[in-house]
Amino acid sequence: MKTLVLVSHPRLTDSTSQQFLKASLPAQDVTWEHLESQESFNVAREQDQLRQADRIILQFPLYWYAAPAGLKQWEDEVLTRTFVYGDHRFPLADKELGIVVTTGMPEKAFQRGGAEGLTLDAALAPLAAVASRAHMRWLPTFPIYQFGYLEEPEKLQLVVDYQRYLTQTQPDSLEQRQAWFGHRLPAMIDQLPPEQQATGRLIQAELDQQKDDIEALADTLAMIKEQEDD
Amino acid sequence: MTEQAQWLHSQIETLASQQVHFTDRAFWLALDKLVTEQDQRNSQLQGEVDGRSWRPDRW
Repeated sequence: MKTLVLVSHPRLTDSTSQQFLKASLPAQDVTWEHLESQESFNVAREQDQLRQADRIILQFPLYWYAAPAGLKQWEDEVLTRTFVYGDHRFPLADKELGIVVTTGMPEKAFQRGGAEGLTLDAALAPLAAVASRAHMRWLPTFPIYQFGYLEEPEKLQLVVDYQRYLTQTQPDSLEQRQAWFGHRLPAMIDQLPPEQQATGRLIQAELDQQKDDIEALADTLAMIKEQEDD
Repeated sequence: MTEQAQWLHSQIETLASQQVHFTDRAFWLALDKLVTEQDQRNSQLQGEVDGRSWRPDRW
């Protein structure tokens, strides 16, 4: 799967969260682009990148319940009517659109009665409408609340949650999580020092065994349920 | 947590602590959470299989 990450931030180098996310990018199959660092958009090139991606991620801090102006400018210039739906070819159809949004306020603020008084889904409604118009599939949003307050264990978790959001098949089920880790594990084992590789392979064998056991139990359960229906 | 899961957990934890790069450590620690999740799902499914098999009305 090819993922395109479009980052909108007016002062990227000053943003610790964006630098953290950049350092967390998966090594393969991800193209990363910062919108504000381009003086003007090469519309044909941008559209071509969109055509080639399977999953498109818009990543930005939430400014006044919306993306920064740079993303809107990119939308206005690159997402032309003809490109998105005008000629009825829908080149973005069935691609996934995900949003990685950082906020200065905590999660509990984004609800009715909370300090912000609206949900992130409500704030992001215009982007969801664009996705719908383009016949894209909207992914559940990936919010990062108050990055500055995260402690190390949460940051460690964020690295992999972010990588999975960029590259793991949806929906985010145990089955898909097992597949994602299973796909990456051999390369991670290969890069271990030789004396740790045997442990790595044992871990992999155990994980595979657990996965098979769960599948077998799920099959048994399905059979029992089928008989109950009779 | 089953004994097997505990063993796996300690192996992964050791491996994670030996990683130099932050993102590598993150991978192994996240894998550890997957192990916990697998273990929970396994015992839940096992419990459901046992529970549904226990049908006195069908004796």
